[in-house]
Amino acid sequence: MTRILSALSLSATLLASTAMAEDLPAPTGDVLLTIRGDISITNAGDAARFDLAMLEAMNPVTITTTTIWTEGEQTFRGVPLAALMEAVGARGDTISATAVNDYAVEIPREDWVADGPIVAFEHNGAEMSLRDKGPLWVIYPFDAKTDYQTEVIYSRSIWQLDRMTVED
Amino acid sequence: MNPAEEGRGPTAKDPRQRAGLRPVRTRLAVVLLVFCMGTVAGLGWLVLRGIDAFNTANSDNLQWVLAQTDVEFLRFKVALLEAQRDPEKLAAVRRRFDIFYSRMSTLENGVSFRRLRDDADFDAPRAVVRSFLDDTVALIDGSDNRLEAALPALLDQAVVLEAAIRKLSLAGLTSFAQVSDSRREEVADTLILMATVLGLLLGGLTLLALSFYRLYRVSERQARDVARTGSRMRTIVETTVDAILVCDDRGKVIDLNGAAEALFGYDRTEAVGMNAIKLVHPPDIRAELLENQLRYIREHRRPERSERRFESEAITRTGRRFAAEISLDRADDAGERVFVVFVRDISGRKAAEAELLDARDKALAGETAKAEFLAVMSHEMRTPLNGLLGTMQLLRDHKLTEKQSDLLDQMQNSGRQLLGLVNDVLDLAKYEAGKLVPEQRPFEVSRLLEGVVETTSTLATNNGNTLHWSCSLEPGSVVLGDSRRLRQVLLNLVGNAIKFTRHGEIWIEAEKLTGPGHMAEFRVMDTGVGISARNLERIFNDFETLDSSYSRQAGGTGLGLGIARRLTELMGGEIGVESEEGEGSLFWVRVALPPAADLPAQQEPFGHLRDGAGRAVRPLSALLVEDNEINRFVAREMLKAEGHDVTEAVDGQAGVALAAARAFDVILMDISMPVMDGQAAARAIRSGGGASARAPIIAVTAHALPEEVARFREAGMEYCISKPVDRAELVGMLAAIAAGGTPDGQGGPVVTGARLFDEGYLESMRDLLKPEEVDRLARKFLAETDLAVADLKVAAVKDPHLAARAHACAGSCAAFGLTGMHHALAGIETAAKTGTLSQNALKDLALLWEKSRDRLVVHLDG
Repeated sequence: MTRILSALSLSATLLASTAMAEDLPAPTGDVLLTIRGDISITNAGDAARFDLAMLEAMNPVTITTTTIWTEGEQTFRGVPLAALMEAVGARGDTISATAVNDYAVEIPREDWVADGPIVAFEHNGAEMSLRDKGPLWVIYPFDAKTDYQTEVIYSRSIWQLDRMTVED
Repeated sequence: MNPAEEGRGPTAKDPRQRAGLRPVRTRLAVVLLVFCMGTVAGLGWLVLRGIDAFNTANSDNLQWVLAQTDVEFLRFKVALLEAQRDPEKLAAVRRRFDIFYSRMSTLENGVSFRRLRDDADFDAPRAVVRSFLDDTVALIDGSDNRLEAALPALLDQAVVLEAAIRKLSLAGLTSFAQVSDSRREEVADTLILMATVLGLLLGGLTLLALSFYRLYRVSERQARDVARTGSRMRTIVETTVDAILVCDDRGKVIDLNGAAEALFGYDRTEAVGMNAIKLVHPPDIRAELLENQLRYIREHRRPERSERRFESEAITRTGRRFAAEISLDRADDAGERVFVVFVRDISGRKAAEAELLDARDKALAGETAKAEFLAVMSHEMRTPLNGLLGTMQLLRDHKLTEKQSDLLDQMQNSGRQLLGLVNDVLDLAKYEAGKLVPEQRPFEVSRLLEGVVETTSTLATNNGNTLHWSCSLEPGSVVLGDSRRLRQVLLNLVGNAIKFTRHGEIWIEAEKLTGPGHMAEFRVMDTGVGISARNLERIFNDFETLDSSYSRQAGGTGLGLGIARRLTELMGGEIGVESEEGEGSLFWVRVALPPAADLPAQQEPFGHLRDGAGRAVRPLSALLVEDNEINRFVAREMLKAEGHDVTEAVDGQAGVALAAARAFDVILMDISMPVMDGQAAARAIRSGGGASARAPIIAVTAHALPEEVARFREAGMEYCISKPVDRAELVGMLAAIAAGGTPDGQGGPVVTGARLFDEGYLESMRDLLKPEEVDRLARKFLAETDLAVADLKVAAVKDPHLAARAHACAGSCAAFGLTGMHHALAGIETAAKTGTLSQNALKDLALLWEKSRDRLVVHLDG
């Protein structure tokens, strides 16, 4: 049942993404994320920029999990990475994600799957300030499976995210 | 280990020890296996846990985080300096502060850094940094002016804070180095544990492998043994001459050997699957076999020990039937029930057995036939011999010169000796044929001895020996025993003693022995030549004539002592001899002679007539039944000589017919005759109710055994006379019959004297002499002969002078023509010389003398 529902929701997400891909609006608020590189859909030259409203419109999901950087269970809300890549028409196989503090990491295409990581903009129901590792934080569903409890995955869980480049 | 030693390994030496070790080893192997499995499971769990631990990293890159704290603080400090020169750069201060703040929050709240927070070296600088952050947040979030104003103060604080942050990151590094160390140690421990477990595992596996190898070796050896035994068994089964069949529980043939194929003529392929009983046995005996010998097949049980072997009949494919020995058993091994059947063709053995049995029967029959032949031959020899002796007696009725009479004496002596030998052989043959049985009859020992002495005295006298006898038994005491055999033994011994003694003395003694068994000992002692020690052993053997001049001189068959030994043994007694060469011999016989309590001594069954027959014999009508011509002739002549009327019959049947038709005064009946034997004839005469049904019958027989005599009496023959017929005995018997008479018989003597007296002699004497001379001689003769006959009548038969007196008397009688007397006296003389003279002959002589005297007196007076 849950699988059917998730499958349905996934298709719905894909449909929505496709609809948006054709028409990626320009951001009106503060730009939280800029995506460049090998993408087909942009809204600012060769880049696709996103403000909070745009992300909120991309059917965000909620993940409840523990992390090694926090105490106790945490709730994160954000756009699945797969949906985000769909929205920008990503053609490459790797995302190079960079934080405000210039921390950079690569996330391969195999991670952009359904029930995979999300680009969270809400932590425990509140927007995240820079001080609280905001404004965006890539969160994997760590508790869902042990494959997500490795140092590689922890290193890909980049916080204070603000840029992405899709590469080959 | 070389193969030879292998077979006799330490385990092979003591099977008990081996049997005891095996379970222990197996148990050990099982324990090891379980331990190894446990270890593997434990190790697996440990490894999995380790893998799990390594799989889920519970920390980010710590060094990076700590280093970043330093870096991000320095960038914050740089932002502060730049903002002092250029107020436009305040935003960068704010961003750098926030990034540093975020980093510190991570250090303070992250699960990975929990252990750092317990470290005092870390916590003290952290608290300093925290208080700076908390103090500064208001400035950062405040207005640009205030922030700009506070920049110098913040820079001062930052210089102080830099040292705290350095401390903090160093403490963190130290702590995480320790964590790393401990984790490394943990990994090392796990690896050591793994190595240990692996080592143990390897050891266990090695042990297990060794154990398996051992088991393999043992089973390999067993397999080899089994193969060897199997091959040996196969060879045995294939080389045996017995047919071997293996059948299942229902009798179906499973297997068979080559011998079985050859014996029954079936191929293996044909035989396998056949019913074994149908294969082995002929159809007609199968049902019976299943009912009896093979009962256990129906009863579904193992055959008993006694049922595992039997003989039966078997049949081959071609229908040849043969005797077979079957041996079988059921093997119940390993839940499989099979019958193993051995079949052996024993027809050859059976044939050999039958042949052997046949050969034995033939040999026995041959022996019996030989003994019978000997008996028959001896018996047959006696018939012509009797004829000779009888004829010689008759010859004396004729006028003989003295020379002729002497020759006749010689002939008669030789004839009697020959008869004795034939009788010896007959006795021996009878004994060998097993026809002799001892008899128990009351008799007086002293009378027996008297008889023996009487019989042998003449012979003893002839050799110049003196015969003595003594009996220590009570006079008149009657004992029970076989007097006839005892008498014969003693006669043989005494005859033997006489033979080997010249001018010596012979003693016959009888003594009752003390002790149990009523034993009596008879001794015959002589002063003869004696027997050498080396000959003592064999003198009782048959045909043993010792090589001495005397024995040659004495002659004989050498059977006498052999017969004596046999007869003694027959009576259950012992016989023995003691002797010294040149001194003499002592023969002894010991037999049991129990006292015959109330029985009187039985009279001799026949042959001896007592004093009652005192009257002269009247002429009788006699029926002579005898098949042998010579015997018939002799008997007829003897009867006719006495003036009796004789009718002859050549066999029993003719005799019966004659007896039925005519009343005879007396019947002489031979026993063994063709057509109808004497006994049957006697019975027929007695029961036939014919004219002679009540006539006295005299059995004439050569073999008068006591039981036979009893049978003769039973058949109606109250008299018995033995062959050869002794004339005097016959005459006496007839006189008794005439006197005692048949119921119808006429009393009183009617003497015809036809043959008694030959007038010719008297006439020729009268021609030669004057009448008064003749008369004188006659009276003298009468007086002398009266005295002589009276003397002879009372004389002892053993009287040594008797023969001479009879001889003298016979001569006078012949001179006066008293032929009967002459013959009778000559007979007595001969009998006296040979020791066969009986007292009755002397008594009969008196009767004869009375008749003869009457006739002579009549003639003299006339």
